[in-house]
Amino acid sequence: MATLEDLSKAVISGNVAKAKKLTQELVDAGVAPLDVINQGLIAGMNVVGVRFKNGEMFVPEVMVAAKAMSQGIELVKPLIAETDMPSAGKVLLGTVKGDLHDIGKNLVGIMLESRGFTVIDIGIDKSPEEFVNAIKEHQPQIMGMSALLTTTMLHMKDTIELMKEEGLGHVKAIVGGAPISQDFADEVGADGYAPDAASAVDLCKSLLS
Amino acid sequence: MESMHTTRSNFTRASFDVNQTIHWEMLSDDQCEEIFMTVLELLERTGVEVLNEEAREVFEKAGCWVDGTRVRIPSALAEWAARTAPSRVTLCDRNGKRAVRLETTYSYFGPGQGNFFVLDPHTGERRKPVKDDVAATAVVCDALKNIDFVLSNGYPTDVKEAAADLHVFEALLTNTTKPIVQYVHSVKQAQAILDMAVAVAGSLKELNKNPFFVYLIDADGTLVHSDETLAKVIFAAKNGVPFIYHTKLVLGDTAPATPAGALVVALADVLVGVLLSQLIRQGTPVIAGGIFTIRDEENNMLPWGAPEVSLVGTGMGNLLRYLRIPSFGFAGASDSKISDAQMGLEEAFSMLHMGLSGTNLIQGCGLLEYGLTGSLVMLVIGDEIVGMIRKIIKGIEVNEERLARGVIDAVQPGGTYLGEEHTLKYFRKEFWWPTIMSRARIKDWTEAGSKSLGQRATEKTQSILQTHQPEKLADDVLAKLREIIEKAEAAL
Repeated sequence: MATLEDLSKAVISGNVAKAKKLTQELVDAGVAPLDVINQGLIAGMNVVGVRFKNGEMFVPEVMVAAKAMSQGIELVKPLIAETDMPSAGKVLLGTVKGDLHDIGKNLVGIMLESRGFTVIDIGIDKSPEEFVNAIKEHQPQIMGMSALLTTTMLHMKDTIELMKEEGLGHVKAIVGGAPISQDFADEVGADGYAPDAASAVDLCKSLLS
Repeated sequence: MESMHTTRSNFTRASFDVNQTIHWEMLSDDQCEEIFMTVLELLERTGVEVLNEEAREVFEKAGCWVDGTRVRIPSALAEWAARTAPSRVTLCDRNGKRAVRLETTYSYFGPGQGNFFVLDPHTGERRKPVKDDVAATAVVCDALKNIDFVLSNGYPTDVKEAAADLHVFEALLTNTTKPIVQYVHSVKQAQAILDMAVAVAGSLKELNKNPFFVYLIDADGTLVHSDETLAKVIFAAKNGVPFIYHTKLVLGDTAPATPAGALVVALADVLVGVLLSQLIRQGTPVIAGGIFTIRDEENNMLPWGAPEVSLVGTGMGNLLRYLRIPSFGFAGASDSKISDAQMGLEEAFSMLHMGLSGTNLIQGCGLLEYGLTGSLVMLVIGDEIVGMIRKIIKGIEVNEERLARGVIDAVQPGGTYLGEEHTLKYFRKEFWWPTIMSRARIKDWTEAGSKSLGQRATEKTQSILQTHQPEKLADDVLAKLREIIEKAEAAL
């Protein structure tokens, strides 16, 4: 008989097929769906997070583990009311106006999802207005902006100012990208800056704690 | 795993060439043949000086023309020697396990010797080596993944000089299981060393079957072979112990100024040792080699970081490969006096160059100050360099799975390969992971102390010396070794 610990182990080892199989077995056996998620799937991902921080596991392994977890969650989702779905928080991501680069932003999104965040990615080349409209629609706790070009990073300041004007100052604003630095983040009034996707996840966790 | 492949074809194909590694070609086969023919002519026409009587008798009996101490070798005999010498010599570890394959183009790196000073790994002080330094060299080599054999890295000055070879051997033998290259001053020391090795192996037969050390015998250079040198060759051959016959030439001084000419002299030199060993005992395992440099006219010295060292060294490697004789070369040294960029450049360039040349056994890693000072820290950096070299020369495997057509299709344009099982399968072994090269972000690097490569390597060296435990020899064997040394010291 499969146990929740077996499920966690399947997630940690990135065994997608096994994670799906065990999730289904546990659900069929009558284990509470929220327990399957929290004590099986998310519990496994938490171990992965610790090992990743310690340098024992690396991004490719984290991503496959996240895949195992998310495919398990897909099986359990229909059995739970949406309001009961555990989420570490909602984060909105986008690349600023005039900038088409998104690989880094995409990685941040994937890493956040793997750690239990709900991620809304509005894509590339987004104006301050488009950011603000998306925030109003999705109501995230955090919004993140990405830029690769020094010419476009100034839009970050405009976006943050527009957010404040529209009464959305309670939403935390974080920034990232190759030309970005902590100094720049302070200048534009951001709530945080992270140099890479892994630290971005830590940043989000600490902003919401 | 359906996305890993598109279609699997049942049709096999023919005539598909594959390069498994980088190909580094300098001397062509025809050029090697030309040089070899010149060597044969030189040995036949000019001949060599053979100052050992037994050797002259052996040569004369085999058909050489002997006039006083001048020996002229018929081409057929020299050719026979090159062909008869085994194409492969396998060195084992101290437990008799097969370890180092000196054959085809396998390359192995190790420290050097001949240095009069060492850099203290704890204080950085430049001082004379003592026996503990030899032991430390063995410990460090034992711990380093990419260093495959040991040498003294400096002869100890705190022991009786006549028994120094023995003390070196003991210090190496008791602090590592890796194969040992052992220099011997004369036959007396060679005998004592053999006794010590037999004490470890159990018997001469066992040692012959699985040799864990080779004698390093230096030819005297420029076609004169001394009495003692050839006596050592005869001793090694009679006892079936593999030996390195090694010549050192300075272009424009002890050898012609042109590399081709220097190679002719070098190959002629080493073939004398090869021939003698095969005549004494056909099939004696012998490794041949040469170390080459130029005269630096500005500073009146012999540089070991010069590009010519590797250039001519590669030529020698090519020649010995052509003749299918296992080869001994030199790389990893620098003319710099300190751990700086010059040291890094000269160490890395020479090691890469010689690694590409396919020379089998490559000594010299960790020598600073044109060979005068040995540095364990530099050796540790050399270990990292070997890791990079192995990655550089490795080549790219092209096959259906690695072409990843199905994976690319599954990931789609704009997608990422980070979450793919294909990436998971390969990322750990396909990429080289540094141990002392820094890739940290400037913030992290600053917080860790803004350390240079030299400082990081120093920490790693000290850590090895503090924590690494090489496999110990049994007490009764250790006692036997001591006994042999004491007896030899009394006699010498």
